[in-house]
Amino acid sequence: MGSSVELTRIIDGCKSGDAESFARVVDVYAGRLYGYFYRLTGDRNLSDELLSELFMRLVEKIGTYKGGSFESWLFRIASNIFHDHLRSRKRRRKLLDSRRTEAEFQTPEPKVSDAKDEKLDKLQFQLNRLDDDTRELIMLRFYSELSFKEIAEARSEPIGTALSKLHRGLKKLREFMEG
Amino acid sequence: MEDRNREDWEKLFGRFVGTEQSEAAAEDIRRGQTLLELYPAPQPDARLVASIKRRIAGRLAHRHRFAHLAYRIAPAAAAVIVIALLGRFRHGPAGSTQISYASLIPTAIWESDDINADDVELAYFAAEIEQIEAQMRALEAGDADSNGANALDEVEVELLRIDTEFWKE
Repeated sequence: MGSSVELTRIIDGCKSGDAESFARVVDVYAGRLYGYFYRLTGDRNLSDELLSELFMRLVEKIGTYKGGSFESWLFRIASNIFHDHLRSRKRRRKLLDSRRTEAEFQTPEPKVSDAKDEKLDKLQFQLNRLDDDTRELIMLRFYSELSFKEIAEARSEPIGTALSKLHRGLKKLREFMEG
Repeated sequence: MEDRNREDWEKLFGRFVGTEQSEAAAEDIRRGQTLLELYPAPQPDARLVASIKRRIAGRLAHRHRFAHLAYRIAPAAAAVIVIALLGRFRHGPAGSTQISYASLIPTAIWESDDINADDVELAYFAAEIEQIEAQMRALEAGDADSNGANALDEVEVELLRIDTEFWKE
């Protein structure tokens, strides 16, 4: 995005319901937001879904944007969408676990296949070894390009806590990659 | 990926730890970020981006149609409200509202002295009134199994029809 004046003009266009302005926002932010979702999930199909969901939510919520860092606001929505996904995944897993327990009494255990739908790159594999919260913090810092102060605010946690988590997370990731 | 804010990591860590530690931590962060840059995430498919833009345009068009429709029906809705309010003022306060049953018996029968001739018709009208009263009671009680159910169904079907045709406009 060229300048903050241009961004303001585009956001005003979005607020007045101009499809072209929304298309411009998609062009500018889709790549980074997709990277954010992909590195958090490691799944292209799921990242497709989350990215679509994000922009649909943007259409609904653009009226509530009251200025300040647009990126921070947008990535906060992205973070909320990711957390919604985590919650629904937990619910599904619980349901599956309970069904599996029931099924174990009825049928022999099926052979579990190790084949993945998607080949994960080395970084993705090691990222998955980090806990969700740390992984999200690292990705938020890397893809949103927000200042650390903005990130700490977006996560509603003290800057020192976020900084320490980022440091530990990145160090651990490097160790995993080198190990 | 370029660090947009050119974060001064040493200064940031320096607020919490000593100089030596803050330099080491800042170096850890920089090396971690370099690592992430070595493995760029895939970009969204062009078809996905196009599909998102199409969906947004569709959503906006739908919203525009709704606003346009609301704008069109607003005068009619206002007229209905005004008429309802005028009717309310003309007929007095709301507390006096009650269900009234229209007379189904023609005046000629009421005023006739020929009871024999009127008997059959009276019996017929009395039966009609009883049936209508039963239907009214059922409607008031919301009893779906009684004769009132058909009347309720008819009203419901009519409402559905109005609703469907309204949104097709």
